Amino acid sequence: MLDHPSPALSDPPQAEVTAPVYVYELPVRIWHWVMALAITILAFTGFLIADPIWPLQMGQPYNHYMMGDIRFAHFVSAYALVLAMVVRVYWAFVGNRYAREIFLPRVWSRQWRGEFVKTVRWYLLIEPETSKESGHNPLAQTAMFAMFLLGVIFEIVTGFTLYGEGVGYGSWSYDLFTRWVVPLFGSSQTVRTWHVLGMWYLILFVIVHVYMAIREDIMSRQTMISTMINGWRFFKDNRP
Amino acid sequence: MTTVTTPNGFSLNNSGRRMVVDPITRIEGHLRCEVNLDQNNVIRNAVSSGTMWRGLEVILKGRDPRDAWAFCERICGVCTGIHALASVRAVEDALAITIPENANTIRNIMLATQWAQDHLVHFYHLHALDWVDVISALKADPKATSTLAQSISPWPNSSPGYFRDVQTRLKKFVDSGQLGPFMNGYWGNPAYLLPPEANLMAVTHYLEALDFQREIVKIHTVFGGKNPHPNWLVGGMACAINLDGPLAAGAPVNMVQLNLVSSIIDRTIDFIDQVYVPDLIAIATYYKHWDYGGGLAGRNLMSYGDYPVAANNWSDANLLIPRGAIINGKLDEIMEIDLRDPSQVQEFVDHSWYRYPDEAIGLHPWAGITDPNFELGPHTVGTKTDIKQLDEGAKYSFIKAPRWRGHAMEVGPLSRFTLGYAKGIAEFKEPVDKVLTDLGLPLGALFTTLGRTAARGLEASWAAHKMRFFHDRLMENLRAGDLVTANTEKWEPATWPAEARGIGHVEAPRGALGHWVHIKDRKIEAYQAVVPTTWNGSPRDPAGNIGAFEAALLNTPLADSSQPLEILRTLHSFDPCLACATH
Amino acid sequence: MGAESQTFYQLMRAQGTSRRSFLKFCSLTAAALGLEPVYAAQIAHAMETKPRIPVLWMHGLECTCCSESFIRSGHPLAKDVILKMISLDYDDTLMAAAGYQAEAILDEIPKKYPGEYILAVEGNPPLNEDGMYCIVGGRPFVDKLKAVAANAKAVIAWGACASWGCVQAARPNPTQATPIDKVITDKPIIKVPGCPPIAEVMTGVISYMITFGRIPDLDSRGRPLMFYGQRIHDKCYRRPHFDAGEFVETWDDQGAREGYCLYKMGCRGPTTYNACSTVRWNGGVSFPIQAGHGCIGCSEDNFWDNGPFYQPLSHVGAGFGVEASADEIGAAAAGVVGAGVLAHAGASAIKHWQKIKPKPKSDDHPPHEGDRP
Ligand code: HEM
Ligand code: HEM
Ligand code: NFV
Ligand code: SF4
Ligand code: SF4
Ligand code: F3S
Ligand SMILES: [Mg+2]
Repeated sequence: MLDHPSPALSDPPQAEVTAPVYVYELPVRIWHWVMALAITILAFTGFLIADPIWPLQMGQPYNHYMMGDIRFAHFVSAYALVLAMVVRVYWAFVGNRYAREIFLPRVWSRQWRGEFVKTVRWYLLIEPETSKESGHNPLAQTAMFAMFLLGVIFEIVTGFTLYGEGVGYGSWSYDLFTRWVVPLFGSSQTVRTWHVLGMWYLILFVIVHVYMAIREDIMSRQTMISTMINGWRFFKDNRP
Repeated sequence: MTTVTTPNGFSLNNSGRRMVVDPITRIEGHLRCEVNLDQNNVIRNAVSSGTMWRGLEVILKGRDPRDAWAFCERICGVCTGIHALASVRAVEDALAITIPENANTIRNIMLATQWAQDHLVHFYHLHALDWVDVISALKADPKATSTLAQSISPWPNSSPGYFRDVQTRLKKFVDSGQLGPFMNGYWGNPAYLLPPEANLMAVTHYLEALDFQREIVKIHTVFGGKNPHPNWLVGGMACAINLDGPLAAGAPVNMVQLNLVSSIIDRTIDFIDQVYVPDLIAIATYYKHWDYGGGLAGRNLMSYGDYPVAANNWSDANLLIPRGAIINGKLDEIMEIDLRDPSQVQEFVDHSWYRYPDEAIGLHPWAGITDPNFELGPHTVGTKTDIKQLDEGAKYSFIKAPRWRGHAMEVGPLSRFTLGYAKGIAEFKEPVDKVLTDLGLPLGALFTTLGRTAARGLEASWAAHKMRFFHDRLMENLRAGDLVTANTEKWEPATWPAEARGIGHVEAPRGALGHWVHIKDRKIEAYQAVVPTTWNGSPRDPAGNIGAFEAALLNTPLADSSQPLEILRTLHSFDPCLACATH
Repeated sequence: MGAESQTFYQLMRAQGTSRRSFLKFCSLTAAALGLEPVYAAQIAHAMETKPRIPVLWMHGLECTCCSESFIRSGHPLAKDVILKMISLDYDDTLMAAAGYQAEAILDEIPKKYPGEYILAVEGNPPLNEDGMYCIVGGRPFVDKLKAVAANAKAVIAWGACASWGCVQAARPNPTQATPIDKVITDKPIIKVPGCPPIAEVMTGVISYMITFGRIPDLDSRGRPLMFYGQRIHDKCYRRPHFDAGEFVETWDDQGAREGYCLYKMGCRGPTTYNACSTVRWNGGVSFPIQAGHGCIGCSEDNFWDNGPFYQPLSHVGAGFGVEASADEIGAAAAGVVGAGVLAHAGASAIKHWQKIKPKPKSDDHPPHEGDRP
């Protein structure tokens, strides 16, 4: 974005730009795109599992394995998602300070809360401009935590609960999840219903998230999309 | 109180000793009975109370009408499937859905299957111990038993050794000191009249029938997947038929399943005609002078008609079980029944634990209300949670009081046979005449406890033969190339009208059953069921008419006033089902 | 046990069973329970030494179809269970005695065999109206139930009614029908759900308990693992069609006639734990799915309110009183958020456009970043 300064910056006299910050280390970036792909596949295949919309197929079962393949894709992506999340959690410990942000929104900090309010005002188009953020703004942090992180964990737990039902009594997923999650929800049917609701919850996040990523890329004072590609946050102006 | 005469012609006097029988066992559900005995131990007042309520009519509100059959089916597992059938018929009526011939025929086979099995189990396992003294069977001579059995039936299990074996096992069972279900029975009561040989024969068949009834229901398993509680479908049946396709082996109904059904039908006919009916006649021979328990029998009775031979045709000529009502014993005057007419079927609740805005009037089921109101009358003895004696002057039962044109009615096999007899239909008249002639009894003997029990046995035989009739019909239709089992034109709720009302009726094993449904915005707006045992077990109505149970108990003497054997006998002759009655 | 009671083996012998056929019976029982042949000897030993255990079978709010199912058992035959394996001392549906004579048994047996009898419950107690929606002997069923449970060795919950509440507990549960584990809290309870349970599952559970003198392994919800360890879907004979993506699309279509998977017709096999697809019904004749109708989930908690039955799994009521499926809720929310995003994007674009294009006529308020304090 730096090479193509936005029109907003071309108009006023060119200011010196704050030095870029290395925000997203390589593992975070790889994780992000792997995870984004996995969730896309999971939602797509999840839809098809819920609603096999293709018309009546005829023949012998051994001629097709349509549903089996779709479920297989779902499960492979599910494992990919889990692995990616494990790596990401590890990186939260060993990575830079930005690697921790989505796991722990700093709600106890007065300054953080002030920024939160300010961001809300910014999104409500009241505040004329954002603060400079090298990591996520507090609102984004909150959304990433409450919607993305909890949502993904919820999908993983309910997903492996359903998976454990299929693999059966005595499997790791049964012992780890199915055993207690099904009674918690009341019935296997209810777990499924919530698994689907969880998908929608994530879809809501993704809609807003992708919109915000593009919007902020254009309207905020720093780079966004490229950051998740090359790791560097560039700033568009030099004010505090 | 002095003697009161009810509008339907029975004298009640509650001055004598009150006897409470609760629980009434060997029935479905929870029934309480209270009677007043005069100094000769004759019943002069009878009170029958349904003591359970689950609220199905309330629970059905707001549900998908296509699901209703499954909820309704759980009204009762003894007459399993019956309410499901009434329910799919009601929804189909409301939505003007016609069903394919095969579905109609399969439903008829399933209904007849239910009749045969339910009647058989009722006779041997719920009713027989009122007539059969198990302990007396120990005194029987197996050889004489064998002679008796062979004299009445060609049934092959009848050698002296066979009966001796059963007797030995029975003896050791009794000697074990653990009597199980026979504990505290009324053995030795002077009202037991069978000789030991007949008792031994009946006990033996009690066990055989317990084994055999499992076979009959396999027909439900073929067409509905399981029994109890087979599956049904609005618009037909889900059991698709595939006879010679490459995947027929995995299809619901194929040649193997049809052969199984056919073989079960043959064995059912044999069992009922060679065991059940001969036993019934043999037992009746010894009890033919015990002529109590008439009540409303032969006086006020009705049937809604059933077994449409061709699908979707409810005209009299197409029904194998006749339709109509008889009032005041006028057998030559059969009245038309119209279940849609608001002035015909009505339910009252002034003696029932429900609330109406105005309890002096009855409500037609399409306008019906089910609003529970458990309250005890001022003359109740005991407390709310420890009732010693009910106050029949107030609310006293969870059964509503249905009336047809204001009359309390009796329904069931005896009512159906009486109608068939009155109409002169040979398949009802001939067996009745034969039994009466064999026993040397007049027609009036039919209208008793024993007559009720006999009609059920004859009906079981009728049903078994109709299974054969409909199976043949099914095969003929399949031979003609028609494999269709479901009509899905109106499966999608989008094809339904915004509002619709329907009626589904079935002649259930215990009598006339009706479901009234009101569908609005694709959901059930209101649902009412008026059930055979609701009719028979009805409490009093505002006019003071008593129901069939209460009427039948009157004037019966008890041989031993500490043992309610005769009360059980008469109540059991109706085959009461309380889960049905109150739902 | 009462001194005069006989062992199971004595009784079978007395009733004319030879030792050889007795042993055969034991190995058949072992096979029916899915046990190794070596267990047959253990079963035989148990039956030779133990008197018949008294069973008190009580009925609450229910439809009696669990009893009906029980008597359909083919191996062992119901009559052999009742007359040879257990001592069925109380059961409203089958017992000879009524009234006082029946009630007396419920007092006597717990006194005579404290801690040794099994309480089997069909149906459940309603709690509304002080329990008076189910009255037995003039008193609330729930009181009788608790009294008889007090000294029982173990409790069997027959069917969906006793285990979960079943149809009378479906919304709005007007009588407050309550599963028995909510009122009997200090006894081991074996749940044998199903509406009704399969006959051979019922007798299988009983014969296991009698022959091994212990309750079977239960899952986390109290169900015997041997019968409820798997879903219908896991052993369904139509599973290859599911994996192939071959579904019945409408009733009686070609797929229906070829035995295709009923998933799209609302089959609950994937979420239902029961033995129908393995043990099957009524002597193995068929089971709901084989007969062409989807499973309605009749052995699952709350299955009545997890409908409507003919909607595929993800379409059913989300179950919090909202009359909408998970997908409807999700799609509606996505619609709202999507619209919000569009509106926001529009508003942002206008604002952005204003910002980059300073209004020529008013220079008292230039939209300049530098204006901020
Ligand atoms: C973003 C994450 C996920 C989304 C959006 C998602 C979505 C879905 C959807 C919509 C369904 C169909 C449910 C139905 O109709 O009943 C489904 C089924 C399922 N999902 Fe997921 N899922 C996710 C993650 C997972 C994970 C992590 C697992 C773990 C293995 C998993 C395992 C399953 C299983 C086992 C099923 C049932 C498939 C079957 O039995 O045929 N899901 N998922
Ligand atoms: C399934 C889809 C996606 C999910 C679940 C997702 C999730 C996330 C999460 C959790 C983060 C925070 C990373 C961290 O700090 O640890 C993030 C950051 C980011 N994502 Fe995504 N993302 C998705 C798709 C996308 C797409 C399609 C784009 C691009 C258009 C995108 C652009 C970004 C950007 C630019 C950031 C960095 C934001 C910042 O610099 O503060 N994401 N994403
Ligand atoms: N009364 C009754 Fe039923 C019957 N037959 C149903 O309609 O028993 Ni359970
Ligand atoms: S669980 Fe179902 S089948 Fe058993 S009694 Fe209850 S309603 Fe009837
Ligand atoms: S019919 Fe039902 S249980 Fe069988 S494979 Fe299909 S979804 Fe699973
Ligand atoms: S409906 Fe019930 S009987 Fe079996 S197949 Fe499903 S659990
Ligand atoms: Mg009613």
